[in-house]
Amino acid sequence: MENPENLYPVDEELQKFIDYRKRSGTIWRGVFLMSLFVAILVLIVLMLNIINDAFGLVALENEVDPHSLVTGYQENTMVSMPNTFASTNHAALAAVIQQNETGIGFVGHAHYQTNADDLRLIAVDGQFPTAETVADGSYPFARPLYIYTALDTLQSEPAVAGYFRFYLENANNSGGELGYFLADETLMADQINLIDTLAGGPQALDSLGGNLALSGSSSLYPLSRQMLLDFRQAGFGGDISIEQIGSEAGIEAFCRGDIQVLNASRPMTVAEAATCQRNRVNPVEIAVGLDALAIVSHPSLDFLESVSLKEMGQIFAAMNYWDEIDPSYPVEPIVRAVPGEGSGSLELLSGSMFSTIGLENLSGAAYAEIIRENLGRGRGRALERDQRFLAEGFIFDSQTAFNGACASAEPPTGCAQPARDRDNLLDLIEQEIIVPQIQQTWPLYDSIFNRQAIVAEASRKYPDAIVEFKSWLNPDFLVNPQSSEAELAGVRTAIWGTVMVVATTFLFSFPVGVGAAIYLEEYADSTKWYNKIIQTNISNLAGVPSIIYGMLGLTVFVRLLLPLTSGEMFGRVAEGTDPSGRTVISAGLTLGLLILPIIIINAQEALRAVPNSMRRAGMGLGATKWQTTWSHVLPAALPGILTGTILAMSRAVGETAPLIVVGASTVIRTDPTFFSRFTVLPIQIFQWTSRPQPEFQNLAAAAIIVLLLILLTLNASAVILRNRYSTSS
Amino acid sequence: MSDSNDSTNIAVQAKDVSVYYGDFRAVKNINLDVARNKITAFIGPSGCGKSTLLRAFNRMNDLIPISRMDGEIVYRGKNLYDADVDPVEVRRRIGMVFQKPNPFPKSIYENIAWGARINGYKGNMDELVEESLRSAAIWDEVKDKLDQSGLSLSGGQQQRLCIARTVAVKPEIILMDEPCSALDPIATLKIEELMRQLQEQYTIIIVTHNMQQAARSSDYTAFLNMDTTDRSGYMVEFSETSAMFTNPQNQQTEEYITGRFG
Repeated sequence: MENPENLYPVDEELQKFIDYRKRSGTIWRGVFLMSLFVAILVLIVLMLNIINDAFGLVALENEVDPHSLVTGYQENTMVSMPNTFASTNHAALAAVIQQNETGIGFVGHAHYQTNADDLRLIAVDGQFPTAETVADGSYPFARPLYIYTALDTLQSEPAVAGYFRFYLENANNSGGELGYFLADETLMADQINLIDTLAGGPQALDSLGGNLALSGSSSLYPLSRQMLLDFRQAGFGGDISIEQIGSEAGIEAFCRGDIQVLNASRPMTVAEAATCQRNRVNPVEIAVGLDALAIVSHPSLDFLESVSLKEMGQIFAAMNYWDEIDPSYPVEPIVRAVPGEGSGSLELLSGSMFSTIGLENLSGAAYAEIIRENLGRGRGRALERDQRFLAEGFIFDSQTAFNGACASAEPPTGCAQPARDRDNLLDLIEQEIIVPQIQQTWPLYDSIFNRQAIVAEASRKYPDAIVEFKSWLNPDFLVNPQSSEAELAGVRTAIWGTVMVVATTFLFSFPVGVGAAIYLEEYADSTKWYNKIIQTNISNLAGVPSIIYGMLGLTVFVRLLLPLTSGEMFGRVAEGTDPSGRTVISAGLTLGLLILPIIIINAQEALRAVPNSMRRAGMGLGATKWQTTWSHVLPAALPGILTGTILAMSRAVGETAPLIVVGASTVIRTDPTFFSRFTVLPIQIFQWTSRPQPEFQNLAAAAIIVLLLILLTLNASAVILRNRYSTSS
Repeated sequence: MSDSNDSTNIAVQAKDVSVYYGDFRAVKNINLDVARNKITAFIGPSGCGKSTLLRAFNRMNDLIPISRMDGEIVYRGKNLYDADVDPVEVRRRIGMVFQKPNPFPKSIYENIAWGARINGYKGNMDELVEESLRSAAIWDEVKDKLDQSGLSLSGGQQQRLCIARTVAVKPEIILMDEPCSALDPIATLKIEELMRQLQEQYTIIIVTHNMQQAARSSDYTAFLNMDTTDRSGYMVEFSETSAMFTNPQNQQTEEYITGRFG
């Protein structure tokens, strides 16, 4: 017989053999690591995909620019302040300031120039209007000036073409003296070429027939007037006239075809140009120079050297006495002269002066005022009856009409409710007046790495739109109900639906499932054939496709148990409506059936894991089976039972198919009750993903994140419960 | 013990007891009188059915679904396996201490109090807990930590806690199934001392693998062995411990107690 030791490898051979065994272990370790990587990779890709859709840039086009609401409100406030004189005529404004010792106001720089002896120029943020500050934009109240005429007029009336050419050639000579800031020489030359192209070459001035009638901006008045006078001096023989009615009114009249040559202190907006086109007026726009709006005061107000934009807001739109601005100032009323409504100057002024004020900075009263100015009367009345805008008085309705409505058989909700608060008014302005419309959305990845390209694309396709970063997952998304407007849609009703359905599911399946498990584990004789069949059956039920449970739920809960699930038995069906079994209760019970086998199997596992010594200890003391089970076996099994139950609940939260069969609705705008129609998060996600508009894909991604968070919370609570119960024993 | 055959001194009697697990007969035809306030030990090789026989005395075998039993266990003149006997009451009167200490995962106090409470104890619970822990000789070690988990004690302490728990419901007989097999020699010695003290009030039946333990601490000894033909256990010899260990009547007994097999 051989030495038994020689039958095993020794020395070097032994070392090799050990290395070999270790190597095969290493290979398996690598395989398992790869599996882990694949799993993690899939998970990361999935999450990135969702996050990519849930955040990103959007091109947002407002029906009304919110800032214009602010400036509009502030303009109204400014013009209606006491001791305020508003006019489109800058000469009149200058006169008011000259005549009042505590006067302050705005005039075109040209007008200041002509009255420089009687007016005191005040700097804005330390900047006086000079050629440099206007050109580089550091003086805020500067803008280009334009003259307009219709293309037809330009081509058919030689006097107009001649005047335009004369204007462009000479404006820079006279403009400086008049207090204007000069336009770029090349620009002027280019525009002369344009006139020649459109209207033919220059003609002798004395041969030009016809008359010239100018109207519009008061800021441009001195220059255009001077040009007219010079034009006649140079030989033009027709009649000349010029009026100052303000830019806005001027543009409006021009687009109706009522004005031959228009002076404007701002360019036409896209909307105004469109109106012109509709009236077959093709505007030709010629820039003739730059103007600055000067802030001037009576010479005696020598304590004012320079003001900030914020101080200007106080001076012109808030305070009434000088000492309210600064206690060192005299206790004198502020007398104000501001450009009248409809002038380009007022627009320029308010655009800069109130640029730092956002819509959200305004008061509730201001919101009510904005609603009064911007909301249609019919809609306003309807909203006012839903809930009043003001605690005292009405905006759209009248006290008598409102009282009448409240006395009727079906009083509107506004009769009982307090007036809307500030936040409510702000929401209303956003939804009813601003009406943000998403034109296009971009995923997060593009938004980060292609931002420039996106901004360029958006400004080309949607010139009026704002491109901003939007998190589709935001507080509003959580509290808003479902809506057909992607901007306003939220998941509140879906979250409530999920919570209530899952609560029903839990209340049904936890007691039933744990009870069944206790019977099967503790009482049933597992050797008996019928118990074996039940056990096998339960295991198989756990593998039945969920849609089949949906069919079961539809037949049993929705149809067969209609009186119970519709709430008819409890008098919960409104009179005149048909009872419907497609309720939260039906859905909860259906999901309850679906997860019942899972709960039973998990609970059985947990009970089986309780050592038998525990049962024997109890029984050995003379305890009954139930006493032992209740006092010792169940507490020991509880962590396992709870973990299994919560994991089953997670499954229920994520189920979609059976609920579609049971009849979950997709559009639910009111919070559900147990006997109402309902929607749940997965159904909401399913509905959004199946819609063609891209922004609903973003909403779906956000809703998926909400759903995942709910699931994570459930799973985390399972872990916490398990740890807590298992350490306490 | 001359009066061992006196019927008033017999706590419980096994009459022709056979226990089956399914078709397998684990022990067969046991006839045994257990003397009151004495310690009776069952010894024998592994698998000879000592523990099965022990469990037959308080119907713990009922918990094993496939088990079945023939014969009678007579206690106070009544067969414990009669149809009108409630196994819950049997276990209340005939308590049991298991091989592995199995305190409840609750406080020490609650370990004692639970059995008393479910059995309807009406007296002062604190006194009962103290008395039970004292009689199990563990009071001094745990009196300051009654609210700590029973599982926090050492193995020997846990086993004494289990004895205290059993004592607390005042049974008449205590069955001990290899109570020291999981314990070190010092803990074993403490349990043996404890058994001697408990003997004054209780009848004790103990299953042990440890011949010294049987010799040291029991009054009577039954030697069981496995029948080589049908592998079921039977009782080879039953006598006073001193007699068995000094003068075994049977060849097998002698071989076993001298360590030649088993």
